[in-house]
Amino acid sequence: MASQIHVNLSPAELAYLHASLSLTPPIRPDGRSPDQYRPLSAETGILPGTNGSARICFADGTEAIVGVKAEVEKTGRRWDDDTIFLEGGGDDEEGGDKEKGSTQQGGNKEWVELTVEIPGQRDDDSATVFLAQMLSEALLADGGFVERLKINRGWHWKLYLDILLISPPLSYPLPLLSLTTHLALLSTRLPRLKSEGDEDPFFDDDWAAAPYLYPRDKKARPPVTLLVMAVGNNIIFDPAKEELAVADVVLAVSVADVADRKGKGVEDEDMDVDGRKLKLLSIRTVDPPSRLTPPGVPNASNTAYGHASAGATQQKMPEARAVESEAVEGVWKAPRGGAKLAVMGALVQKVLQKGGVADEVLDALEAVDLS
Amino acid sequence: MSTTTTTLAIPGQLLGSTSKYQPGPGTHIHESNLYASLLGSVRIVHPAAAPTTKPTGPVKRLTKLSALTNQSSSSSSSLKKQSSSPDQLPTISVTVSAEDNHHNKKREILPEVGNVVLCKVIRITPRQAVVSILVCGDTVLEAEWQGLIRVQDVRATEKDRVKVYESFRPGDVVRAEVISLGDQANYYLATSKNELGVILATSEAGNTMHPISWKEYRDPVTGLTELRKVAKPY
Amino acid sequence: MTDRRRINGPAGTTIPPIFEDTSNKEDANSVKGRTRAPDAVRKMFLRTGVTPTASGSAYLEYESSAKSGVSGIKLSCTVHGPRSLPRSSPFSPHIVLSTHVKYAPFATKQRRGYLRDPSERDLGTHLETALRGAIIADRWPKSGVDIIISVIEGDQDRASSGPQSDETWDMMNVLSGCITVASAALADAGIDCVDTVAGGVAALVQGPSEDTPPSVVVDPIPSEHERILGACCIAYLPTRDEVTNLWFKGDLPASEMDLYTKLVENGILASASASKVLVDCLKDALA
Repeated sequence: MASQIHVNLSPAELAYLHASLSLTPPIRPDGRSPDQYRPLSAETGILPGTNGSARICFADGTEAIVGVKAEVEKTGRRWDDDTIFLEGGGDDEEGGDKEKGSTQQGGNKEWVELTVEIPGQRDDDSATVFLAQMLSEALLADGGFVERLKINRGWHWKLYLDILLISPPLSYPLPLLSLTTHLALLSTRLPRLKSEGDEDPFFDDDWAAAPYLYPRDKKARPPVTLLVMAVGNNIIFDPAKEELAVADVVLAVSVADVADRKGKGVEDEDMDVDGRKLKLLSIRTVDPPSRLTPPGVPNASNTAYGHASAGATQQKMPEARAVESEAVEGVWKAPRGGAKLAVMGALVQKVLQKGGVADEVLDALEAVDLS
Repeated sequence: MSTTTTTLAIPGQLLGSTSKYQPGPGTHIHESNLYASLLGSVRIVHPAAAPTTKPTGPVKRLTKLSALTNQSSSSSSSLKKQSSSPDQLPTISVTVSAEDNHHNKKREILPEVGNVVLCKVIRITPRQAVVSILVCGDTVLEAEWQGLIRVQDVRATEKDRVKVYESFRPGDVVRAEVISLGDQANYYLATSKNELGVILATSEAGNTMHPISWKEYRDPVTGLTELRKVAKPY
Repeated sequence: MTDRRRINGPAGTTIPPIFEDTSNKEDANSVKGRTRAPDAVRKMFLRTGVTPTASGSAYLEYESSAKSGVSGIKLSCTVHGPRSLPRSSPFSPHIVLSTHVKYAPFATKQRRGYLRDPSERDLGTHLETALRGAIIADRWPKSGVDIIISVIEGDQDRASSGPQSDETWDMMNVLSGCITVASAALADAGIDCVDTVAGGVAALVQGPSEDTPPSVVVDPIPSEHERILGACCIAYLPTRDEVTNLWFKGDLPASEMDLYTKLVENGILASASASKVLVDCLKDALA
């Protein structure tokens, strides 16, 4: 969880940070504008032993590599298929029944295995699991992705995505891992199929002929997950560790480009040639570490500033916890409760708006040279 | 004590404005209103009826520097307090009491700075005595909390001559005051008041002893005395 | 090396048996779809104080669907603590919350193991986020509280041999139940909360035919709908009007923000209904 990333900031520093981030426009500790990403360097195809790989290094020194490996696997018969076989008595009876649900013609989500490795954390740690689930959720929400892994009726590709954070987690690694995964998937190629129909698959040896998993000519792109946070009325993208420590609400929003194929239940509109059409795949609330920050003590109740010792009053009420006090200007108090719906709505709106940050990030990723 | 039990409250229930009440246990402030934070009955205690607490025993002497600054500012703050309203406001609190709760369960409480606790000595070292806190205020604790009485907190005077083994022995029951939440494992306790210290001790022969002076217990069977930091009986 | 002392099962995986549902064929139309209004949640039963040994506990049950073979949700939650932290853990000025969500092995169509799998850990993290906003953590320094939820029955259609993707929507239903039941158990344990947090789910479902526009319903049961296009689970604080956890999943074009807003609003509606049950249950416990 984000809250596990320890921030050593005093209540006074937290109060200062919160105040400067709530200004209009906010002043961020590293001088970025609210929707500016940290500079990063990226490269793809760094691992020759994989089907696709990428490495991204953020300016703050956090670095991640992702390797994608694919294996051919026999498709297990599902219940539906079985019953069809029993009733129909043969493989030749397709069509008809197959139109029932989309997943039947498509793939199975078990065909994608995504693991996240963060140094210093157990891989069954719930924070790591949460990250992995978030990334795979976005990937699978786009139903067309697993469909592409299908070879024929009997065989499919099994895709292993191994995400390695190779630096210590200096900030919440979600944006870094998501961007690296995006690039790795973009550079992923699967060997060209030579066999036809439902016979056992046979592939072309020529790696140069291998097609990309996400074809270049189509607009389909893997999803990206953006980390957005709100402080007061300000919306801040790609927050650093210190900024997360004073966040009111943190959301992880996954978006992707609408692919060429026509989505079901979506009115078909003409694609504008230049602008991309985004779609929202998933939103998750990330527990902000600000809730676990130590509160400040206002001067009015500080014994060092002449307040009578609290001992006497507390003896009276042994159950009295830390004395409740109203918020004092400039004294840090960990936020309680949740976020207003309007704030959350604004966060999502800001991500999805045309020419917004999601657009910018996708443009930047497209510019990365794929080797 | 004029306490009025008015209604039942569930967490998040509005109790009133902060201009009308002072927050007590089981309440919290949100946007200058008081809300309940516990499930229980609402109690309103009026300050006139609230028991006046007077410091028991000699007040710890302040060092000169802090005494000066404290006096000047505390006199002004106490004056302010007289005139300002907060202390005159009735205190509103939400309590989970045993009779309300149909399954007769006590709510867990935590030792708090300033609480007087009863604890049992587990082991002693030259620097400190490790104790386990059994009772906090009037409540027997459910969970096990560990405390530490450091050698400098055993008594108020002649701190440098205190020896832990002359003050406590494993198995003694000690009345102590919580002075700090301490480190990750231990609460820090002190017995530096007259009425704090060992209240029940067993001799080396295994007999329950009775106190005979501020630093001695005597075994009634063998007649031998043992050294302890004795709590002044009430 | 085979084990000859025991009679072993087949080496490969097996498929759970699916029995042909005769009732389904006869009156397929009568109980197939949703019988509730789009904005009506299922009836639920909630009671606190069911486990005497725990500091706080609660039990929640959802009415099972009108369709036969679909089980409801049964959840049991126990809260242990506040208690002292293990010696190895660092000092914490707040209460340390740990949440465990575990499906009973028999809770779903496909058997669950005894070890928590990633989806259960994921649910635990979601629950933690939802509760962390509700509790007043600084009232209990240096202590920890364990919230343990056993899913005795998870919303699943046992009769159908439907596609597996239903599972993810079931997870949202289970999460919303977990939030409500944990909130009741926390209140029972006497841990300070700013409000009674309650969970609710809303979904965007495909109409009966492909041509009808998708509609938004609350508290969806996947088997009652043709297809679920997207869903969101919300943890909502009713008196503060705040959201502590939002989990949206689906495939929604960015141009349709209204649909998203409507989904979230309906999620809040569902949470508010759950909150009414929660408040009534807590009042009953006091009386």
